Amino acid sequence: MSSKHSNRPQIIDEGGDKYKYGFITDIESETVPKGLNENVIRLISSIKEEPEWLLEWRLNAYNFWKTMREPTWAKLEYDKIDYQNLSYYSAPKQKVAPKSLEEVDPELLATYEKLGIPLKEQEALAGVVAVDAVFDSVSVATTYRAKLAEKGVIFCSISEAIKTHPDLVRRYLGSVVPYTDNFFACLNSAVFTDGSFVYIPKGVRCPMELSTYFRINAKNTGQFERTLIIADDESYVSYLEGCTAPQRDENQLHAAIVEIVINKDAEVKYSTVQNWYPGDKDGKGGVYNFVTKRAACRGDNSKISWTQVETGSAVTWKYPSCILQGDNSVGEFYSVAITNNKQQADTGTKMLHIGKNTSSKIISKGISAGKSNQTYRGLVKVSPNAANARNYSQCDSLLIGSECGSHTVPYIENRNRSAVVEHEATTSKISDEQLFYCRQRGISEEEAVSLIVNGFCKEVMQQLPLEFAIEAAKLINISLEGSVG
Amino acid sequence: MAGLVQNIDLALPDLPILRYWRNRGLKAFEAQGVPTAKTEAWRYTKPRDLNSDDFILSVTLPIITKSEQTQKIPFACYPIIFENGILYSKISEMPSGLCIMPLIDALFMDIETQEQMGIHLDVENYPFAALNTYYLNQGVYIYVDSNVELERPIVLINHSSVGPENLFFNIHNLIVLKKGAKAEFVEYYNYSGAVKSRYFANIVNEIFIEKDAELNHYKVQNEAFKANHVALNMVSVKEGGNYNGFCLQKGANIGRNETKVLLKEKNASARVDAAYIMNGWATLDTTTDIEHLAEETCSEQLVKGVIGGDARGVFQGKIHIAPKAVKTSGKQLHKALLLSDGAEIDVKPELEIFADDVKCSHGAASGELDEEQLFYMQSRGIDREEARQLLIDAYLDEVISRLQNDEISEWIRSLIKENQSIIG
Repeated sequence: MSSKHSNRPQIIDEGGDKYKYGFITDIESETVPKGLNENVIRLISSIKEEPEWLLEWRLNAYNFWKTMREPTWAKLEYDKIDYQNLSYYSAPKQKVAPKSLEEVDPELLATYEKLGIPLKEQEALAGVVAVDAVFDSVSVATTYRAKLAEKGVIFCSISEAIKTHPDLVRRYLGSVVPYTDNFFACLNSAVFTDGSFVYIPKGVRCPMELSTYFRINAKNTGQFERTLIIADDESYVSYLEGCTAPQRDENQLHAAIVEIVINKDAEVKYSTVQNWYPGDKDGKGGVYNFVTKRAACRGDNSKISWTQVETGSAVTWKYPSCILQGDNSVGEFYSVAITNNKQQADTGTKMLHIGKNTSSKIISKGISAGKSNQTYRGLVKVSPNAANARNYSQCDSLLIGSECGSHTVPYIENRNRSAVVEHEATTSKISDEQLFYCRQRGISEEEAVSLIVNGFCKEVMQQLPLEFAIEAAKLINISLEGSVG
Repeated sequence: MAGLVQNIDLALPDLPILRYWRNRGLKAFEAQGVPTAKTEAWRYTKPRDLNSDDFILSVTLPIITKSEQTQKIPFACYPIIFENGILYSKISEMPSGLCIMPLIDALFMDIETQEQMGIHLDVENYPFAALNTYYLNQGVYIYVDSNVELERPIVLINHSSVGPENLFFNIHNLIVLKKGAKAEFVEYYNYSGAVKSRYFANIVNEIFIEKDAELNHYKVQNEAFKANHVALNMVSVKEGGNYNGFCLQKGANIGRNETKVLLKEKNASARVDAAYIMNGWATLDTTTDIEHLAEETCSEQLVKGVIGGDARGVFQGKIHIAPKAVKTSGKQLHKALLLSDGAEIDVKPELEIFADDVKCSHGAASGELDEEQLFYMQSRGIDREEARQLLIDAYLDEVISRLQNDEISEWIRSLIKENQSIIG
């Protein structure tokens, strides 16, 4: 079992009761001075040898950002973030860009090995996954590129794509999430450092799952990555994302953007297991996670499926959305969010029905324990032209302990009479009957709770790729440890 | 010509309690102003018309006769009649245990009423309730003594006999049911005269339900189709008490009925139902906020709407469960039928839960009439138009049939029928 596990991205700690990924990699980093101003943006752009148009775009975003105010509508309470007290770029020091894995700093390789991320291709025999590993502000390695290139799939870091495929990047960057979108997206547009770029050409079914692994290491830095996925006509890709960060007393900021463009008859499946450091029992430290994720189903019959398992972060602000523009396009959102101790999560989705016969499904399962607070916030909007649109939403919450909170705030706006929109939400605690049933069959209370919770989340877990599903189920158990009894 | 804040002489300007509320109301309204699209509580209902400066405060009674108004009520009742927001008459011979008097008289005479007034009314969060208290003058005080069960419903009618002017009026009622009392309270807002008048009715009801008391509250809003009607019902329920609310909205251009229920003690319960039927360009808004503040409280809501033309139906429902309010249950369901291409439904059901041993659920659904059902009826010789009417009736009847007083539910059904010809 264990040898098998070492071959796939391992997000969780298999044995322990603590956050296993809280270690710090001792590596020499190149970090730009703290603060945010035009010079910092110019510096980032020049380090990355970016073209003029991108620098201009960044500066436009920065100037717009200065006019924006941090949103306060979410049910989140956190200390004010001092955006001038952060460093906006940090990268492991390397003299020359590594040509192959052998040239990558061994300390870095050791880090990923410790995290269970297979960066050596020959080792990954079972469950083949191509990985792009992002360490602080830069992508350190991307595996299986040659094999993917055979099929015409482009999978590389976005910095590289800007150099090698400038036309594609220029055409699509900011086309789904413009820099004017929201406060955090705007900040990201000004200072984004790296991320993944995926292009699946027409008619190609990506031969393996693609994966990005994000790691924040440096102190007092923010991570601002940007992922761009383009699925051309009749293509398919399944994409996985995992994240961890070291255990630090200060809060770290993570403001990412994921943009997905899906053309005619194409399908993208995006799965996330988010396990940023959640802070300690008293809510000290932890990652502030402000993420804008959006997919545009531009072509007819296109499909996007978001699956997320959210267990980490001190504060989560995340609403993966679907713009269902093409006729017959389909949007799906499956989410399990678990909060414990003093974590806070405000998460949900947006389904914007624009094309005819579009359909969407929302399954959201929230589990709050300890003193945590969790909110599902979603929007389903049917525009006047979206004839025969169909939406089904189900938001269930489970409460464990009397000091936690669980909130549901769905917005439903229907402007087409032929549309059918349904929403259901329930909140309850684990039923005593179910617990009693398990207990009388000799299952301990803790095991029984984990059994019931896993059953509660099953609908969503089934959507995860197998490699992730097992890890995620364990992660849920660990997240809830100590919350019973 | 003036905006909503006008400087006029009101009764008893020197009475401290009135001065306090009028000042506080003015301050709170000026701080909030008329809500815009950015006001979260008014996200979908935009009372833009109320920014215009041609509203004239209603101060004089038109000439009418009482019998004209009571004729509209087909059952025996204790009537209270307002004309354009001004108290015209109330029953003089009240059964023992019931007391009805103008609110400001009660505030003038009774220290207990003074203390009770506005206890739960945080006008700082309700712009129109703030405006209403600034003009605190019109309205009644209704008191039902301990263990008294009223034989007939109390019926408050406001009739707007509208002319060329755009009138503006405020009614503020305070209703107290003492321990074990049982009463029925009906509000009926109607009009006659120029249909196109853009008058503004601004209503606040403060309702106090004490231990084991029960109030059935029915409201029918049938204002002129360019009128504005905004109401806030602030209800508090003590141990074992029960509040049954129902509101039918079928008129006005902007119609909003907001109900906040505080379930303050153990075993308090509430049912807040509503129905709306409208076409034209109206926005009909049903907003509820049920706060479960104690353990073993329960609430239930069913709201159904039928929307045609270019009208918009809005439902915002919030269930709040306070920490430690365990063994509570809160249920909520909103359903709407869209009959035309221009119709719109905006729904925001909200659960806010801070305790674990609870059972809460909400559901919302919207769509058009079921073609299969129509076909079924047509295949049995019922013509399409009639089949549609039957289905629409049956749709709303799910709410009406829950009402506990048969005479009142029959009356409400007959009022819904009046609308049928215009819904298409």
